[in-house]
Parts: sequence; structure tokens; C-alpha cells
Amino acid sequence: MTTPLIKAHGLRKQFISYKKNPGIMGSFTSFFKRNPVYKDAVKGFNLEVNKGEIVGLLGPNGAGKTTLMKMFTGIIVPTEGELKILGSNPWERDKNFRKRIALVMGQKSQLWWDIPAMDSFLLLQKYYEVSNDHFKQRIDKMSSLLGVEELLHIHVRKLSLGERMKMELMASLLHNPEVIFLDEPTIGLDLVAQENIRNFIKDYHRETDCGIIITSHYMQDVNALCDRLVLIFDGEKGYDGTLEDFEDILGSDKSVSFSFKEAQNLEHPLFQGLDTTWNDERTNVDIRLPEEDLCLLSAKIISDLPVEDFATEKLPIERVMKELMNNPEILRQRRGSLKSV
Amino acid sequence: MLKKLSHYWDVYKKFVSTSVSVETSFRTSFILLIFMDFFFFFSSIGSVSFIFDHVVNIGPWEKNQLLFFLTFMLMIDNLHMMIFSQSFWEFSFHIKTGQLDYVILKPMNTIFSVFFRHFRASSLFNTPLFLGYLIYYGIQVNLTAFDWVMLPFLIVLSLALLVVIEFILSTSMFWLTDGMGINFLRMQMQQLARWPNFIYQGLIRKVLTVVLPILLVGSGPVHFLLDKNAWQLLATMVVALVILTFVLLATWKVGLRRYDSASS
Repeated sequence: MTTPLIKAHGLRKQFISYKKNPGIMGSFTSFFKRNPVYKDAVKGFNLEVNKGEIVGLLGPNGAGKTTLMKMFTGIIVPTEGELKILGSNPWERDKNFRKRIALVMGQKSQLWWDIPAMDSFLLLQKYYEVSNDHFKQRIDKMSSLLGVEELLHIHVRKLSLGERMKMELMASLLHNPEVIFLDEPTIGLDLVAQENIRNFIKDYHRETDCGIIITSHYMQDVNALCDRLVLIFDGEKGYDGTLEDFEDILGSDKSVSFSFKEAQNLEHPLFQGLDTTWNDERTNVDIRLPEEDLCLLSAKIISDLPVEDFATEKLPIERVMKELMNNPEILRQRRGSLKSV
Repeated sequence: MLKKLSHYWDVYKKFVSTSVSVETSFRTSFILLIFMDFFFFFSSIGSVSFIFDHVVNIGPWEKNQLLFFLTFMLMIDNLHMMIFSQSFWEFSFHIKTGQLDYVILKPMNTIFSVFFRHFRASSLFNTPLFLGYLIYYGIQVNLTAFDWVMLPFLIVLSLALLVVIEFILSTSMFWLTDGMGINFLRMQMQQLARWPNFIYQGLIRKVLTVVLPILLVGSGPVHFLLDKNAWQLLATMVVALVILTFVLLATWKVGLRRYDSASS
């Protein structure tokens, strides 16, 4: 049996801040008397990740995703719990441990703003003791895959967000890390840049079989990259499983959409009692319905109404995610029912 | 050990080259910094010379002895500006913004990664001037051959004591988050050390010699060079450096554990 790359048990992180009332009086009051606010950003979190896995860590803003990433990389120390990454306690910050991991944060840069990316890469080469041959080979390969060969000697502050993000990825992967933590690596990027980054990560993973934990708000990232999803709500794990199982969380319902030649009457008996979402023009409807009703209802609509086009799919992951974020109790109920089985 | 030193030296060379690359990107600022150091040097020398136009001695020292002390401290200041100064300011900014995250991740000693990161090449242009004056006043106070051999080592020792005290003060930023107050306190400490210890009396002198031994930075080596009977101050300085290094390592470790990082 192989040792997991990541093993977290009962992880908790508490942050302390304080409340301050607005205005100058609020400032004076809080200068002399602070009212501390304790918040558990992560509580009782368990996770195991094995070599070669790509795990998507999802959750709404403030759910604790970035806090987890920072604990995994040893940037911050957990308040409670056990954590081993590659067999080491990350917050002991052992040199060899730090050489085996990488972190990319979409909202923070490790590149020097006022110099070309290549200068930062050369510094990183020295930090991580990467040999000249290996360094050259890595830079050539990654820059060609990402299409940034011409940008290596341009000052970072002159690069677009997408170009900078590609450089950030290169900077993080120069030393061949065994575990990579990607915290919203595609945030703010256009669709083409997102796809480039995703393809690059996929290629890198295929080549090295490294472990990857990725947080993202873009479901395309998750669909394209992850074998496994971990959902975190309010610091607690809500779901841990495959993408397929995740899509079935709301049942085996299907989603079918119809486009009509002309606006439809919403009161039409065919649509009564169904879970429908219409567009403003009433020419397009999304219907969520049980799998067994799909054929019959679709046939009726096609024969009775002026259908132009129709498509069916399982409930898209985005829709499941949205529903869970609005109703996190679904997961609690689901966990309860699984326990009782 | 040699391999480790060589690794740190390789990284440091890159710190220097990337810092030079950044600094020279902004040419006017680069030149203004050279002039700033230049004016600071001559205003310091000028002030002391002016005082000695009206008095013969300050404490036990006559003009050349005090100017030797001052040029010794200005030399320390020049090296401090060149090697460390900017890193102190960046450190407080990095704590506040969470940029320290990436520094912590680097596979090196974090004290090294934090405080040796920024090199100010502009200060290098004034080093020959500072050194020239130090040598000139060294000749005026009749340094012996032994003193000249000792001088570079004493400069390194003084700089080491000064920055270790400043590192310890800066460590408090892990708790305070905002580093403005600490950075100004640091600068005041430097200001105190720019005058010989006999300027201060009573409890203040004792505190600044034993508890926060900032007065030893210049006074320890210069008293020793001018009078070999004053070796106790130098010995105190070495002991203080060793003790404070341990204090720094311990507080830094606790500080790092305290680091919360800024949210994304």
C-alpha cells in the first residue's frame, strides 16, 4: 500500500479578528478596547490524496479553500489536527519538503514585477538548485507549450494577466514538484487563456503523474481536469467523491432544453407541474425531469409544439453546484441518509 | 557545509543581480538615491566639524577621534543601506499583503530570504567616498598595522550586531502586522548608535549597552581601536551578538508560526 501524498485528519484553523465600528469614534473606541471575533475558517477537515490524483477543491467564497491550501503548503499553521504532505509536517518547513511542492495563486504573484520573467526564473533556478541543462530544457519545453517564448524577456508588469499567469505556472513547475497546489489559476482569464492553462496542466500531469489540488470557481476547470471533487462549505467538507457521483447528488434527473420558433404560452398543459426555466422571450425552456419521463415528454412536446431544436444532458455540474451552494443542507441530509444505510 | 554556503552564495548573487536589474530600470530614482546618500554623508560630517569649530573636545575625544568614529558609523550605514535597508521595508509590506507566502515557500532559511533579498546598488557608488574618509581619519588617529587588519572584521562585527538587533525588532511585525512604527523605531536606534556611548548617561546608557546593545555597534570597536584597554566593550559586543542571534532564531520561529497571511 502506498503512502498518500496528502493526509489530513481533523484539521482546524481559527483566525482572530476584531470588530470596528465606522468613523473616528469607532476608531478611538477600538483603539482602547478590542472585541475579538473568532472564526473557524476550517473545521474537522479530513482528506487523503494519492499519487497521480487531481482533486478539485470547490466551495463558495470564504468557505476555507485558500486557508486549506496555505496549511497544506506550510504557509500557516493549523490550530488543531494532523497533516502530512509527502510524509512531512508542512509547517516544519523542511527544506526538502519545500523543494517537492509548488503553489500557484491566481491572485498573488511570485514573479518580480519590475524585471523580465526570465530573471525571476534564473533566481528560482538557484533557489531550487536546478542544473543548467535541466533548467534550459524545462524553460524551452514549457514556454513552447504555453506559447510564451517571445515574452520571457519582457518586464512582467508589461504582460497581460493571461501571459503573467502562464509565467507563474512556469515559475512554479521549474523544479519538478511532486505535489502542486493551484489556487484559482484561471481566475480572470479569457476563455482561450483558460483553456491553454488547463491543457498545459493536463499535459504536465500526464507527463509527471504528480498530485494536484486545484481550487477554482470555473466548472470548466473541474470538468477538464479533476477525477475527484471535494466540496467545502463553511470550513467543513460537504462532499468527497467522483465527478459522476457528484452529478447524481440531486438524483438521476436529466436536463432537457427546447428552442421554439415562436413565443410559447407558459400555461400550456404540457408544462404544468414541471421544473422549468424560461428565457425572457419565452422561446427557450430548460426542463429538469426524472430520467424515466424524458422520452415520453420530449416526444409530446416535439409533436405538439413548433420545436426548432432540443438537447438533453445530465444536470450540468454548474447547476448542481449552484443548487448546493444555495441549499447546503442537501449534502447534510445526504450524509445522514448514507450513514443510516 | 561548504555546499550549503555555496548554495546561499549562488542565491545571493542572483538577489544582487535581480535587484540591480530592478533599480536600474528607474534611472532618475537610482541617481537621486546616490545623491541622497552623498548629502547625508556630508551633512553628518559637516555638523560634527561645525561643533568642533567651537569646542576642543566632546567627552574624552578630540575632533579627529570623533570624526573617525563618525566615518566608521557612516561606513556601517552605507553597508546597511546597500545590503539590508530595503528588505526591512519590504518585509512589513509583505506581511501586510500576504506576499510573504511565496518567501516562506522557498527552500532556504527564511531570515535569509526575507532580509537579504534586496540589494541597493546605488549605495555602492558612495562606498569609495565613505571608505576614503574612514581611511583618512584612521590615519589622523594613528591606527597601527594591527588596527588596520582588525578594521574590516570590526566593521562586519558592528554591522552584524546592528542588523541582528533590527531583525529582532522586525520580528515583532508578525504580531503587529503594520511595520511603520517598528521601522521608525529601527531608524531611531540607528540614530542613537551614530553618537559615541559617552554622550548618554546613567540608566539610558546601561539599557542601550546591556539590554538593547545598540551603543556597542560603533562604540565597542572604535573605543578598542583608539585604546586597547577598552577591550571589554568589544568582548561584550561579541557576547551580545551570540545571545541576540539565539534570541532572534527563537523569536523568528515563533513569529513564523504566528503568521496568518492575508486572505486572497
